Amino acid sequence: MYFENFAALINMDGHGVYVWASVAVTLAAMLWLVIAPVIGQRGLIKEVSRDIQRQQDRQLAAKKTFNHEESN
Amino acid sequence: MNWLSNWLSNKWRSNNWQSKETSSWQWFYRLGSPRWFYLRSGQWLPWLSLAALLVLATGLIWGLAFAPEDAKQGNSFRIIYIHVPAAFLAQSGYFIMAIAGAIGLIWKMKISFMVMKAAAPIGAVLTFVALFTGAVWGKPTWGAYWVWDARITSMLILLFLYAGVMALQYAYHSVDAASKASAILALVGTVNIPIINKSVDWWYTLHQPATIKLTSAPSMHMDMFMPLLVMIVGFYLFYALALILHTRNEILRRERKTSWVRELVTAKAGG
Repeated sequence: MYFENFAALINMDGHGVYVWASVAVTLAAMLWLVIAPVIGQRGLIKEVSRDIQRQQDRQLAAKKTFNHEESN
Repeated sequence: MNWLSNWLSNKWRSNNWQSKETSSWQWFYRLGSPRWFYLRSGQWLPWLSLAALLVLATGLIWGLAFAPEDAKQGNSFRIIYIHVPAAFLAQSGYFIMAIAGAIGLIWKMKISFMVMKAAAPIGAVLTFVALFTGAVWGKPTWGAYWVWDARITSMLILLFLYAGVMALQYAYHSVDAASKASAILALVGTVNIPIINKSVDWWYTLHQPATIKLTSAPSMHMDMFMPLLVMIVGFYLFYALALILHTRNEILRRERKTSWVRELVTAKAGG
């Protein structure tokens, strides 16, 4: 390591605040760029499966009314 | 706008579409199939994530803890290891977005408009990161967070261009019209990229000249340069990962009514 110890690495001769703030913001932004689409995908899949469910329910209901009318 | 893309695609089709050479272009059309891309890219994701993580971690630890400090700027120079790669990708990403838009206009390839739409927010975030880290670096180096230097101003314009492309996506009811308008804006905006690149030479103000140039050796010692190179490779890998993830969501959103998406979702819910 270039620095003598861990404290020196954090402090960086007084420049630590600037360096670590930059690193923190960058990592947060990059994490967000990969986490947001993963969460978004989950939501999309849920939405599509709800659509499928709704369609199946509707088909089932239509069949029931049809059968009901026939038995009458 | 419509006449332009119609003219371009007709021109292309009359030359190639029905010719005997179509088969040699098959890979190109397959790549344009959202379904093919979605299924195939799912296999790439774990490897790409792992590679990006490893390379970025290596570069960051190397640059922050092991590289020697700069003689003039001291340790604040270490911001270069995230500032330069972010700025690099902000510009490369703009090209990727504009080229995807052009391919969409010319070949009417559905997926390329999706790539274009996905590239906009990623590029905007990376541009913001470049501006932010630059501002934080400016304080100990120049004594100010912000100056209206040519490089900084042209990067700010880049941020607005990305924002414009994103906004245009939602400005139309028709997806097709929105894609075409965004593609035109993206293409027109490419003039800004050489301006960003040359700004440090044309207006020799506060921002330091380029550290890395394709045409000459880096103006940096190898011990400092190697971690920077690793970080740039890492950022490219990360960019590819982010672009694929965002594109996949756009595919799901636009193809949600198709049978293959429904089958995929049913299979996922069942297993």
